[in-house]
Formats: sequence, structure tokens, C-alpha cells
Amino acid sequence: MFPSTQLRKTFISAVVAIAGVAAFLLWPTGLQAQKAASEKDALAVLQRCAQCHGPALQMSKLNLSTREGMLKGGEKGPAVIPGNAEASLLYRRVAGLQNPIMPMPPVPALKAEEVALLKDWIDQGAKWTPEAVKAAPDLTTSAYPGGYTPRNITKEDRSWWAFQKPVRAAAPRVADARWNRNPIDAFVRDLQVKKGLEVAPPADKRTLIRRAYLDLIGLLPPPEAVDAFVKDNAPDAYDKLVDKLLASPSYGERWGRNWLDVVRYADSSGFEFDLSVDNAWRYRDYVIKAFNEDKPYDQFVIEQLAGDELDHPTNDSLTGTTYYRIGPRVRFREKNYPSYRYDYMDDMVRTTFQGFMGLSVNCARCHDHKFDPITRLDYYKSVAAFWGYVDYDQPLVPKEKVDEYQKALKALEKEMTPLRQDIARIEKPYQEKRREQQVQDALKKYPPDIQQAIKTLEAQRTPGQKLLVAQVLTGGGDDVDPDNLIVDATASAKAKAAAKANQVFGVNDYGNGKKLKLNEADEKKRGELLAKIKQIEERLPAPLPVADGVRDGDYRLSPDGLGDSHIPGTGRPDYGLKCCFVPAVGTKFEVPPVYFAAKGEDIKFDETTFPVQPGFLTVLDSVNAPETHAPNRPDYVSSGRRRALAEAIVSKDNPLTARVMVNRIWGWHFGTGIVATPGNFGKMGVLPSHPELLDWLATEFVQQGWSIKKMHKLIMTSETYKMESGFSREVDLKDDPTNVYLWRFPAHRLEAEIIRDATLSASGQLNPQAGGEPFFPAIPLSLRADQPRGVWEVTKEEPSTWRRSVYAYIKRGLKYPMFEVFDEPDLNVTCERRATSTVPTQALTLLNNEFTLLQANYLADRVWKAAGADPQKQVKEMYRIAFSREPAESEMRANLSFLDKQKAAASVSGEAAVHSALGDLAHVVLNLNEFVYVK
Amino acid sequence: MNNLNNSNDDLNERNRKEKYISRRKFWMEAGMGIGGLALIDLLSQDQLLAAECAPNSGAKVDSPLAPKPTHYRPRAKSVISLFMSGGVSHLDTFQYKPALEKYDRMPMEGKGDIKVRQGYPGPLMKSPFSFKQYGQSGAWVSEIFPNIATLVDDLAFIHSCQGTSNDHVISHYEWNTGSIQMGFPSVGSWVTYGLGSENQNLPGFVVVLDQKGGPYAGPPNWQNGFLPAAYQGTVFRSKGDPILDLSSPGNYMSPQQERARLDQMSLLNQNFDEKYPGMSELSARISSYELAYRMQACAPEAVDITSESDETKQLYGINDPVTAPYGRQCLLARRLVERGVRFVQLMSGAYVSIEDTWDAHANIVANHTLHAREVDKPIAGLITDLKRRGLLDDTAVLWHSEFGRMPISQRGVGRDHNPGAMTVFMAGAGIQGGQQIGTSDEVGYRAEEQKISNHDLHATLLHLLGVDHKRLTYYFNGRNMRLTDVSGELIPQIVGKIQSAKA
Repeated sequence: MFPSTQLRKTFISAVVAIAGVAAFLLWPTGLQAQKAASEKDALAVLQRCAQCHGPALQMSKLNLSTREGMLKGGEKGPAVIPGNAEASLLYRRVAGLQNPIMPMPPVPALKAEEVALLKDWIDQGAKWTPEAVKAAPDLTTSAYPGGYTPRNITKEDRSWWAFQKPVRAAAPRVADARWNRNPIDAFVRDLQVKKGLEVAPPADKRTLIRRAYLDLIGLLPPPEAVDAFVKDNAPDAYDKLVDKLLASPSYGERWGRNWLDVVRYADSSGFEFDLSVDNAWRYRDYVIKAFNEDKPYDQFVIEQLAGDELDHPTNDSLTGTTYYRIGPRVRFREKNYPSYRYDYMDDMVRTTFQGFMGLSVNCARCHDHKFDPITRLDYYKSVAAFWGYVDYDQPLVPKEKVDEYQKALKALEKEMTPLRQDIARIEKPYQEKRREQQVQDALKKYPPDIQQAIKTLEAQRTPGQKLLVAQVLTGGGDDVDPDNLIVDATASAKAKAAAKANQVFGVNDYGNGKKLKLNEADEKKRGELLAKIKQIEERLPAPLPVADGVRDGDYRLSPDGLGDSHIPGTGRPDYGLKCCFVPAVGTKFEVPPVYFAAKGEDIKFDETTFPVQPGFLTVLDSVNAPETHAPNRPDYVSSGRRRALAEAIVSKDNPLTARVMVNRIWGWHFGTGIVATPGNFGKMGVLPSHPELLDWLATEFVQQGWSIKKMHKLIMTSETYKMESGFSREVDLKDDPTNVYLWRFPAHRLEAEIIRDATLSASGQLNPQAGGEPFFPAIPLSLRADQPRGVWEVTKEEPSTWRRSVYAYIKRGLKYPMFEVFDEPDLNVTCERRATSTVPTQALTLLNNEFTLLQANYLADRVWKAAGADPQKQVKEMYRIAFSREPAESEMRANLSFLDKQKAAASVSGEAAVHSALGDLAHVVLNLNEFVYVK
Repeated sequence: MNNLNNSNDDLNERNRKEKYISRRKFWMEAGMGIGGLALIDLLSQDQLLAAECAPNSGAKVDSPLAPKPTHYRPRAKSVISLFMSGGVSHLDTFQYKPALEKYDRMPMEGKGDIKVRQGYPGPLMKSPFSFKQYGQSGAWVSEIFPNIATLVDDLAFIHSCQGTSNDHVISHYEWNTGSIQMGFPSVGSWVTYGLGSENQNLPGFVVVLDQKGGPYAGPPNWQNGFLPAAYQGTVFRSKGDPILDLSSPGNYMSPQQERARLDQMSLLNQNFDEKYPGMSELSARISSYELAYRMQACAPEAVDITSESDETKQLYGINDPVTAPYGRQCLLARRLVERGVRFVQLMSGAYVSIEDTWDAHANIVANHTLHAREVDKPIAGLITDLKRRGLLDDTAVLWHSEFGRMPISQRGVGRDHNPGAMTVFMAGAGIQGGQQIGTSDEVGYRAEEQKISNHDLHATLLHLLGVDHKRLTYYFNGRNMRLTDVSGELIPQIVGKIQSAKA
């Protein structure tokens, strides 16, 4: 619907071409008639066509590398009718005679004599003899423009294990019947037997319940729940426990957080301004809800990639598309830097393919993948699949409500306009005066040569003086024009967010908001008008809830950031486009072209290659994915490219997606996946330790309707999961020191957020407030000064900040120190798996941070309340809460003597000293390995 | 308990000192890890603590920061990066351009589209500062660096550094992390990942911020990205505890109580860990608490400059309120490298407001005169001090920024961003002083001869430390990642004869 650059260019080249042809036709006719078209030369010209319509790439399904292909033609019919150039599509295209006018080849256009040559050749029968083919360059191994030849995808490439569809093998039979009940166990035990490994006994019930709680909901089991579980001798006691935890709303808070790692979630965009993604939290809540509701994983994937392109989108599916908005983004004068768009696409390709399919397609951005059969063209096809989207705030209310809202806004706007005009009228003379004053000020402020330039009459200024005057007097130095904030249904929400961003340190004022000084009478008049405007503003309807989502549109016109003017932005390429950035109902939307190898650094250069259509990875062509799947609804115009990609990702023929997700689930339970590199199933990844088990789980996952909860149940009720962790035999340690074959349950450290959550559940101070806007954990002000941009509300340690960690504001420019030291992942790329590093600053955090110390005291209070003043009872209660077990005798002794010692050393006496010593013990407990590890 | 609500920042300085002194005392009494207890009689408390905190005196523990072997014989052990945030004008500091005087106030032509960050391109503008030649090498230096000017024969200037973006933050990432994308590990992280550190009692990579606040781009400048958290830069704070959470809020515990608490943790942890043979991360966690305990004494010792002589303090300009803040940063840098810290970065410029950085859009004279005065004497003092103590040979000093500035004016008297050309200088590490490497065009708009990218500079820096930038890799998301991505050429004038011998 928009006139594209392409079109403008075509028009020009067509004019040139036609003029050329015309000029050619004016040549003496005798010469033209006598000239026999050189078959060899014509085939050489055709070779250029074959770059896009040849063996490697058959755009419009047209193959011009053979005569048969040429006569058969493509989607638009036969390309050539031998003997009749005027009727041949190929000639009409290159000569610019066919509507719509499209440039063939796009750049550079054929020379007039080349066009004439083709005409003659067709008119003379379009001969294509073997001799001529031999003489002309080889059409069958056509390289792409710029000399690119994609790597050949060989049979061997295709035979890589991860590209084979998972095969469901029957579970092996092992000697120990207990290990035959759950197929997981049979696969695991079978390999252990083959390796001669001994296996750990089942864990005791106390260990098991603590493990299950921390693993599924990320909180400690209450002592009463432990007691009840220990007493429950029913054979299905453990099954019931798992079911109960899966049904707990805390489950989504724990496992949703895992997913947020995959999608590199943060609440701010990073870079200079580190602006908030205002409604990122709605996506976070959507993820938590999806886990709690056990949303089928295939649907979950589709909603995030194309929730707006469904036939029946829901508020949830629209919110899913915030997936596109939570990556690192500059959001400042985007249009001045066209390369940003390509970097964002790279972010989407990386996150999507590594996250959902375990393939590093992003490695093929600048060249074919060095290790995996992924071509650079595959990369650009993937970019093309994303290319149609623009950031778009999707209202989460019915259309009537939006209309109503906008109508109300408009009405109020209408009321305000005359008032504003009045103000402008009053201010006008003052404006003029101020301008005059600026000139005078400039004269005073600037060095003599600038003063001279200003004084010089305009016509007499030298070129340098003209530049100087323009700089000095037009205020051309303003860095940001906040007036250019997007004005739409969410305007007031945005203004609110901007105001919020300022509240701590404030972004630069950039000279805005300076009120003109008026005389008393005018001041009064203006004051009255302003008061009236304010009254009207008070009637503004509350902002509509929106998802920070996406939809298809023309990115070249999308206002993406502060300082972006709509059309055209300063410094942005002038595409000659007008109108709007999302397509209107009833129009047909053409995604703007994306060119092979384009990087956005040099627009002119970028467009010298060929435009790329969306498409799925060549090596997975067995998925047979269509290029688009547009929504079947009249009220929403979208290309359907993202939906087609999403459907290819979850296709039953895609060998990777189910494997990748079950492997992640496994890894989150056991600390390491069956493939130890969950984001890389290619050659640089690690081979699966239990390939048959992985395949079995992948097929089971799909058979169970992509139910994640069913996978949890299956895994957690296996003997493999229920083993003891504190077990070892020499043979195991020697032959499998890193426990790849799971001869014991792998104890592993809790993640940063869960250490904090577990601490809160120990102290009894967890604030259960779920969902909604994020909270800001308390940090020292000095730390805030490290990154003064963007939002960070200054809070102190108090119950409102003791919500679950998943609800903490995540700021790309400033990580919360406690999370940062405990290996919070890089927030800018999808997280394959979290690292577990050990550094002294972690110890300092748990030893001295106010949060831990306060919670230790609350834990002491809690123990005191339950156990009273008896130190024996206190130690017992402390262990019941923190470790779900009784202290061993030696531990009891050590702790009692510690309590004594600390009591004696306390600066207070009496009961206060006992209390202080108990606080110390609580603090010790919160620091222990046993506390921060799942065992 | 009440003290808990006091923030670290408010803590009374006197209490803090007393506390450390008593911890030291306790430490001595307990005889923690001291080999030569007999020395106690001969040494003062300060000397004893200094000995305790000296390089490699830390208990030999399983630490990710343990020193690692180099690829080549290293020329330097430590790096001090002096980063001027906001963009220093090369044209008003170390690149003298007579052509700018000649074409002053005339349009810049023949350079293609002029890409400005703000407003409209102005005419060319000569430097408002006067330039003179200094030293035997005859290096040109503007009047705003009178002290650094006296040292030019010790400095190697690189005039042809070139970046890719005129955006502050992206350029900070470019020169401090090697990638224009957010989230890559910083140079200091790579260096400590590759080499560990010489002193386990202190962090291996320390960042000292401008006293007014953080630079453009904030913490991602010193983040570890995809490298393990052990390699993230630790900010040393100018007020209160040098390291976040180094001590508990208030006088929460006596040293005896603290020690007892640690011993108790250690005891109970061992009890637990016995069941998990082969899991070294558990014992590493116990060690990390001991290291933290030592750090609690050694970090304050490192930042405590009371023992420095008045002459030294004056050398760094600590007696002058304008130069004192950066002077303290520089003196701290010397004390840290002396103690074996691998990588120290000192920021000048706080992005609290543009004018608190080197971002001289509005007025070159006002902005650069002030900031140059703040850092000139301290930097000269640092290099002089390192040299006279014999530390300069083992230390690579790098002075740099995120980009240079435009030869054309902004609003008549300022200069806009210019990634096309920038001057950096290096000193120490046996680098031949007095060199002028690379050039920019006659007006200083674009680097011309021997263009130097961030990768080239980083490769060179690693080489000085004995590390081959192509072999320093970390596997991440399917690739062996490098600080220098897929490029990086050594700067021959800096590295001199390329060494290939194994260390």
C-alpha cells in the first residue's frame, strides 16, 4: 500500500530503460534488422536473472537457468514466448513495460543494449544451444550477487542426530524391578549397569519434600507440611505432594522465572536511557500464568511469536508478543541509525532459534555457519520472517472501548485546543521578543567572530558564517525533543512513565518546560487558561491497559524512540513514504523488502543485493513450512510471516523443538540437561548423555499434548529423581566423577532469586503479593549513582520489598547486587544455563547485606516464638525450618556451644543476649551450604 | 538491631576505623594464616597488616582468581585504565592541527555527509587553546595539560583510533568491552579471566568511579557478560566501605563474634560437605568465606592513604580541592597495583549531567578546562610515582575515551561527537615513550594513517600482559568467544619486537 523506495527507483530505472530503448529504436532500422542477436551474449545477460531465478533461489518459482524452466515460467506464467518478445513477460519486465513496474534485475538495471539484445534474441526464437551455453558463463552453479554461494547442505549434514526426528524406543528392561516402573528409570539404570556404576538409595522423606518444594515452587516446606508428609504412610503420599505443589500458584513464580532466562527478560531496555518497557510485567505475569495453567507448550511458543496473528487472538496471546519488546533496545533516535533494526532482528533470530530450537542461526549473520548446516541465506530468510513487525501497544480491551476512549480524548482535546490557541496568541509577542533577546544574548555571549556573523546581513554572510548563525540561533543543539513522544491511546501512560523515569536523578531537561515570562495582566490571563486546561485534563479517562506488543507494519515509519520524529527523522534516509506505520483495515500489506547481507550501515549499499523472502532453514526443509499464514479475519491486516515461522517451530515434523524443551525441563530439575548445552544442539554443543531417553521424553511430551506439568510429574516420580544426593562409591567417583549418568541425585546450588525467596520463607516474612507492577529491591543510594538513567525507585528494606524475586524490577543498566553476584545471567542474550561461580563477594553479601541480617533476625524471632527460651528447642526448630530435619547430635552440641559463646560475647545482657545469640545462629544457618543447595 | 536501618553510607567513619583496628588485632591474636608470627614484635600493626595483604599472601585456595600462566613472557603484570567518559577532544589536547587555524570558521568540505549527533553541522573551528611542543620528542600538547606535557617522553600517543558509532553508550561498550552490543564482558573481565590476579585478598578487577557518579552506560562497562561472575569488576567506593557489603551495617558485631560466626559456618559446612566427595564447589564456598574475611581487612588497608607522605599526596594533587578527587583515585590505583590487583580502571566523568563529563557540546573552553585541570596533575603524579617506585615497567597505563570530537563547531563554541578519530596514550610496560603513532586527516575528522580499532588496542593490551588475544577464548552459546571477536592487529610500535617465546 505504500510507495516503496523500490518503486521509486524502479520508476527511475524504467524511465532510463525506456529512454534507452527508444534511443536504440531511433538507430537506423537497417542496422537493427541486420543485427543477429548473439545467443552467447543473451545467455550471459540471462545469467544475471538466474541469480534470483536460478538453481539456488527460485523467486516467484521461476527458473531461468534452463530453456525448459524459462518456457515453463513461474507463478506469473511463461517467461518467454519464442519469436515474440513483445508478448514475453521476461522482456516486458526488463523493459519496464509490465505493470506493476518492478525492476528486473533490481540493481543495477540492464543497459539499454542488453535489453535490446534480449528482445532480438527472443524475437529470433530464443535459441539455447549447447555450444552457446558452453561459451556463456555456467548458469547451473549460479552464485548470488556479490559472489555469495551458500554452502552445500549435504546428506551428511542432514544426518546430524538433532536433525533426525526423535524415535521412541521401547524402554529397556533392567534387573531391579523398582527401576522398570518408570521408563525414565529404565533408560537411566540401563546405562549405569552398562558402565558398571553403583546407584544411590532413595532419599529419606525429609530430604525429598525439601527438594520437591525448592524445585517446584522455590520455597522451603513449612515444618508442619514436613511432619504431615513424614507421617503419611499412604503409598501415593509423594505423588499427592507433587500434585499439590504443581497446583500451587507459586509453581508458576518459580518455573516462569526459568523461562524468563530463555527470553532474556528485563524491565528496562538498556543503553543510554535504559528506559522502562512499561508493560513488561504483563508479559512476566503472562508467563507465570501460562506455567500455572499448564498452557500447551506449542501454543505458548506460537503466542509469543505471533499472538497477534492468530484467527482469534486473546489478551493473553497479545501479551505474549511482548517477547519482541523485552530485548536490549536503544529507543533513542532509532531512525538516525538504521543498523539498529538489523541488530534487533539479530536479537530475535538468536533468541528464537537458540531458545526454542537449540540452534545458533545467529552465527550465520556474516557468513555461512562455520559448524552447522545453516547458510547466510537461511539467516536472512529468518530475518525476513521477522521483518514485518513493528512495536505496537496492543490495547487489552475490546475495540469499542478503545474507540470510546479515543473519542473521549478527542473531545477533550477539542475543548482544549482553543484554550491553547489563546495562550499561543498571548505568548506570541513575547516569543518574538525572546527570539530577539536570544540574538542579543548571543551577541554578548559569543566570541567576536560569531557576533560578527550574526550582525552581517544574511545575503552577505560567508558560507561559514551562515553555518554559524544557523547553529547559534535556531537552537539546533537540542538533543531530545520530548514532544516527539508517541501520541496514541497510551499517551498518558507514557507520560506517566516518563515522569517516573525522572523521579530519582532526572534526565536532562534539554531546555524544555521553561515558561515564558509575561506581564502581570497577560500572566493572569494565561493562568486562567492554564487552569481551565488543567480542569479538562482532570477529566481525561484513565489510560487503557495495553500490552507492549507488536504487529505488522512499516518499520520505516514506526516511531520507535525518543527523538524520533515521525516522517522523516533527522538524518534518517528519506524513503519518500507518507502515511502511517500500521496498515489500515481493508488494505493489503506488503512487508518492506529486506536485502540479503544488508546491515543497515549503508542503505545505498545494502540495496544492491537481492530482496529475501521469508523461509525456514534449508536443512529442515522436511518441515515443509509455508512462508506465511495470515490471520483469517477481516479486521486485522498482517503478513502472517511470524505465524508461519512459529508453526514451523512447533510442527510435528520439526525434530528439535520438543527435544529442546524437555531437555531444558530436565536441566532445570537436575542442574544439567541430557544435552549439557540446552541452547545448542549443533556441532558445537555437547552430545546427549542419554540420547534414547531424550527422544523418548520428546515424543512423550508431544503425546501428552505438550504438557509441561505432565513432564514434571513423570520426572519427579522417577527413582532417578528420588535418589539420595549425599552418596558415593569409589567406583562411581572414579568412573563418572561429574555424575553424568546420575548415580546420585545431583545436589546443586539455588539460583540467586531462589536464595532470596528461600531466605524469606525461612524468616516467615515473604510478602505473598503476586503479579502486577514490579517492586524495587532496596539498594544503597551510592549504587544508584552508578547508573543514574532510567527508573529505580528508592526503597528501604520493608515488607513491600519482600515479595518474590520474580517480581523485582530488572534493570539492564544496574543489576540488583545480590542477584548479580549469585550469577544472574547476562540480561541481553538468551541464557543457556546459569553458571555457579563462587566468589568472596557472595560471602560478603550473605554476611553483611542488610537484607540477610534482617531476615536472620526475623528467623530468630520465628524460632523464639515456636521454641521459647530453651536453646535445645531453639536449635531443633531452626533446623526444622531451614533444613526440614532434626540436627545430628554433633550439630546440636556445636550449636549449643555457639549460642553460649555468642551470648557471652554480646554487647547486651539477659534475654536480649539470648536473642542476639539466636540471631547469630540464624545468620549462620542462612549462610550454610546446606541452606543454599538443593540436596 | 537499630543500627540495621542505617545505610552503609551513613556509617560513622570513626567507628569503622576502630572496628578494622580491632579486627586486625584479633587477627594477630588468632594468628590467622600468618607464617612469620615471630615478626610481630618487630613490625607495627600497619606493617603487619600490609604484609598480610601483600600479593599472594592469601591462603592458597581454590579460587577462580588464582594466577594463571601466560602465553608469552609478559611485559606488564597490571593495567591501569584512565577512562575519560564523555569524549575528549583530540583537537584540543594532543593533536595540533594548523589547518584548523587556517580554515577556522569555514565550512568543512570534501568529507561526504557530515554525521552530527546534535543539531546542524557548523563550520570548522580552531582550538581555543594554545599548543606547544614538549620534551625531546617534541610532542604537541595543549595548554590544558601542563603536567602531562612534562612527561611526553614517557608516553606513546596513538592519534588514529577510530570507532564506529557517535553514540556515547555504544562507544563505551565498544572500547570497554570490545563489542558495540550490550552485555559483552569488559576488558578487565577478560584480563582477570585469562590471568587471574596476584592478590587473593582483593578483587582482581577494580573500578573507581568519578566521585560524582558512574560514567555513561554505567555498570555494563565493567560487567562480566557471559564470563563467570568471578570476573566482574568490583567498584571501590569513595565514601564508606570501599566494597559494597564489606562490613555489616552499624557496629553489628564485635570481631570476636564475627570470627565465631565464621568458624561456626565452617564447622557446620564441613559436616555437610563430607557426604559430597568430588564436589569441589562446596569446599570452594568455604574458602570464599575465608577470602571475604581477609578482604574485610585488606580492602580498607588498600584504600587507607593516611600512611602516604605529604609529598606523595601533593604529587597527586590531593592538597587541592579541584584535583583531590581524581588524585585520590590515582593514588588508590598505585596502591592497588602495588598489591597485585590485575586491572584497575579509573573513571573521570559522571553522567549525572552532561557537563560533569567530557561531553563538550556547549563549550569546549569551559568543559575541557575544568576536566583537564581535574585529571592533569593526578595522572602526571601517578605516572611519576609509578616510575620512581619501579612499578611503571610492570604496569600498562592506558589513557582513553569513547570517541574524539568534531573539527567543526557546535553552536559556535562547542564540539559534537566524532568517532572518526581519537587520541589515546599509553605508558609503562616497557613501551617506547615519545612516540606519535598514526595520524588523522589535516583537520582531524577521520583517522588516516594506521587506523586503530578497539580490537587492535585490546589485542595490543593483552599482548603486553603476555596473552595472545586469539587464544584467550570462552565457549558461549555455541562459539569460542574472544575479546577481539574475529579481528585485532597488534600495534607494532607499542609491542616492539613480537615475542613468541613461552614465558
